[in-house]
Amino acid sequence: MAVQKLSKDKVAEALGELCKFRLIAPAKSDDVVVFKRIDDPAEAYLEYGNSTIPPKKFAFPQTETLFRFIKGSPELTEANVEEEGTTVIFGLRPCDARAMAIVDKLFAWDYDDPYYLKRRELTTLVGMACIEPPSVNCFCTSLGGSPFGTEGLDILLTDMGDYYLVQAFTDKGKKLEKTLSSQLEDGSAGDEKKAKEMALASEGKIRRSIDTDGVPEKLPDLWDNELWQKVSAACLGCGICTFLCPTCHCFDIQDEVEEGEGRRCRMWDSCMFSEYTVHASGHNPRPTRKERTRNRVNHKYSYYPGRFDVIACVGCGRCINLCPVNIDILDILEQVVDA
Amino acid sequence: MVDVNKLRETAKEVISREDVRELIGYRPGTYGFRARPAFVMGPDEAGELIFTPACVNNLASYIVLEEKLPVKRGEEPDLRKVAVMVKGCDSRALVQQMEEKAYERDRILVLGIPCTGVVDMAKVEARFPNILELGEIALEGDRFVLSFNGTKEEVAKEELLADKCKRCRYPTPLVYDELLDSEVERFADDDYSDVEEMEKRAAEDKWAYWEEKFSRCIRCYSCRNVCPMCYCEDCVLDRLQPQWMRRSVDISENTAYHISRAYHLAGRCIQCGECQRVCPVDIPLMELNRKFYKDVEELYDYEPGTNVENPPLLSTFKVEDREDFIM
Amino acid sequence: MMKNPYIPYEVNILDAWYEAPGERCIKTFKVSFADEKVWDTWSHLPGQCAMVGIPGVGESMFCISSSPTEKGYLRFSIMKAGKNTASLHELEAGDSFFIRGPLGNNFPMEEWKGKNIVTIGGGIGQAPLRPVIQWVRDNRGDYGELELVYGARTSQDHCFKAEFEEINQAGDCACHLSIDVEEEEWPHFVGFVPSLLMEVAPKPDNAIAVTCGPPVMINFVLQNLEKLGFAPEQVYTTLENRMKCGIGKCGRCNVGHLYVCKDGPVFSYAQLKEIPEAFA
Repeated sequence: MAVQKLSKDKVAEALGELCKFRLIAPAKSDDVVVFKRIDDPAEAYLEYGNSTIPPKKFAFPQTETLFRFIKGSPELTEANVEEEGTTVIFGLRPCDARAMAIVDKLFAWDYDDPYYLKRRELTTLVGMACIEPPSVNCFCTSLGGSPFGTEGLDILLTDMGDYYLVQAFTDKGKKLEKTLSSQLEDGSAGDEKKAKEMALASEGKIRRSIDTDGVPEKLPDLWDNELWQKVSAACLGCGICTFLCPTCHCFDIQDEVEEGEGRRCRMWDSCMFSEYTVHASGHNPRPTRKERTRNRVNHKYSYYPGRFDVIACVGCGRCINLCPVNIDILDILEQVVDA
Repeated sequence: MVDVNKLRETAKEVISREDVRELIGYRPGTYGFRARPAFVMGPDEAGELIFTPACVNNLASYIVLEEKLPVKRGEEPDLRKVAVMVKGCDSRALVQQMEEKAYERDRILVLGIPCTGVVDMAKVEARFPNILELGEIALEGDRFVLSFNGTKEEVAKEELLADKCKRCRYPTPLVYDELLDSEVERFADDDYSDVEEMEKRAAEDKWAYWEEKFSRCIRCYSCRNVCPMCYCEDCVLDRLQPQWMRRSVDISENTAYHISRAYHLAGRCIQCGECQRVCPVDIPLMELNRKFYKDVEELYDYEPGTNVENPPLLSTFKVEDREDFIM
Repeated sequence: MMKNPYIPYEVNILDAWYEAPGERCIKTFKVSFADEKVWDTWSHLPGQCAMVGIPGVGESMFCISSSPTEKGYLRFSIMKAGKNTASLHELEAGDSFFIRGPLGNNFPMEEWKGKNIVTIGGGIGQAPLRPVIQWVRDNRGDYGELELVYGARTSQDHCFKAEFEEINQAGDCACHLSIDVEEEEWPHFVGFVPSLLMEVAPKPDNAIAVTCGPPVMINFVLQNLEKLGFAPEQVYTTLENRMKCGIGKCGRCNVGHLYVCKDGPVFSYAQLKEIPEAFA
């Protein structure tokens, strides 16, 4: 099949078609852009930079039920992810799709995580290339990504002015193209060539960078380096950098019971919270924000690549943009490189 | 405007004192117009300190945020003072902390900054997006002057000024050991018009409004952690036994969280606005805090964080206290 | 393996008894699967763990303190510390709770064949050592000498008392016991476990030392084993940390690059020496 294109005046119609699935798209409330379930194409807000919260929650919800039970009864009823149905995440940025591909490795490592993997199986990712880097703190190209990156994506859309170039890479993507066959039309080879030029131009506009060569190996040697005290001194211990990180995947498990009916559920947790590691005895092996910051950076830039051959950071810049005290992962990494 | 050389000289003297352990101030951020907290441990580090309208953080939070490790056997606890730079609003956090006996006055050394207002960084970055190279913001008369990439732009003060500064009653710190500039006259007052607007709305309207805001909350707890008045050692929100608040994130728990937070700050919030500034999903938390602030002022003629000698409002009882609003 | 690793199995309590009294008392549960068929797919090795809990209360990680050579039941010895353990302690024979497992790695019993084995335990730290001892005793011909070093604060705090007595009487291995503070009629060593270890002075030749107990004890035991000539590769211990998933996903239990739940809980001292966080 030739490359496709989607005329901008057909976007609403295409989104309407996709509403027969669970359609997730960026939407704006006040000045905050978040991905949410869309039932009406008008709710979608496609002229955005990047969302405040990454769309990871549609594979890994902030809170989800693992199983339900009646207190005192031995019957446990497993939550059925299948019921959520086929999902299309429309318009996510290449970095966020790549993040999902990175996190997939963890959730499929040795023990399959049935909830996460089922959702990923049910989900088609339709990405939106970054014609311009959305933020001054984007650094995806330092980590093997690109504003036009396709890793993890089933389809990539590129804004060509009056229409989107539609490139499908996977079976899921091609299947979705068929669903949209009434809205799509044939594109040209020239479009693809132009998109390649646009990709290069956009990559050239990425302003920040870090040379990560050797960082995973070096980090453990810097365990007792004074840099950790310095870079964590201002840390408030909040969850912004981890909750807004598209690759952060840590969770807590809690039981909730109401009038005899209960559920075991999991919810995002943050390694920056003090109670994250505290033992029942009260002992905390990571007693201050210094240890917690060190763990966060090591986990992303040393432990994860050590195990899964890929750094658990895609350079989306959210943790830099939104840290209340301007703790900057690139500033930390520069200190690691220089140490 | 604080003279940066004087600031650095003073800081150098202060951090050289034997009874001072560290000095918390501001230094340039890592990009654009940002400034960030600085933790000065020795006189040679004082040279990086700045104070500009970009210095938005309330550094009083750090006095109560410190995580103390148990003193090792054979070692003495470090009882030296922490020196801290505060603007007028920030100083009220120190006053309120001391009203609540969070620590003794002699534990801190306060460098007061008479403040002519700070910017709302979100407004600055919306107006001048994608600035990577370090820029500077200065206030000249009624205009902010932004220098970056070799150019200068002027913007009317009003347009970039943080909302809290537009109703600031205490631009000069209320507690200090040393004042880094001459006192600033009050340049604004609070007429609570925004709160009155909210009060006028129908209950269903208010509920719909807050439901939408709270549903966005991701419970990152940045609003709690940044708050200079949220310093309980064992926060009710973190407690697992008994568990007062579930960790699941939904409208019901989120609402309970924000209501608890607002109530715990009634009569204590000093309006530094940090909670709202740091919220990644723009929940207008100050609208809740300000409602309580207004009520407390009207009902008890009390303003938190204005006098160390004041007993904390909610731990005092006077026979003449109004109680007609109690259900 | 389990289809959904988050769904626990129900186990019935066959028997339950207290090992040690006090505020942080220790209770042992002997359990069997409510669904007998689970036994067909269940297989664990000494050192492995399970998440143990009650729906509605929570789950915590405990070592399986019985050896797979003990058929028809599993054992857990649990110290009362938090919410979940307090609820478990309320249960008696006839009640049930839930487990997920087996989780984590195991002591390399296969590798240790032909070697002398010394276990050094303190307090509840004997729980993961018990299956090692039982395994070796049940496969006596496969291993060299077995030597047990164990201590607790008082004689009351000694876990598995009857079993130590039984082992002593059987005479198939040397058993050295201690308490921290002098008591009347205590016939054995008085002092801390690391001192008892020096007294016993096991030989490092062709030997493996396995230790578990409070962190302070482990620290001194490791130092003393080094003094006795044990190489780090000959010394094993188990770690614990706060855990939630038990399968290397939820992130919290790592020491350095290792997940205690999945890469552990069993580690050689040679491994841990490289990880400063291991003894945090």
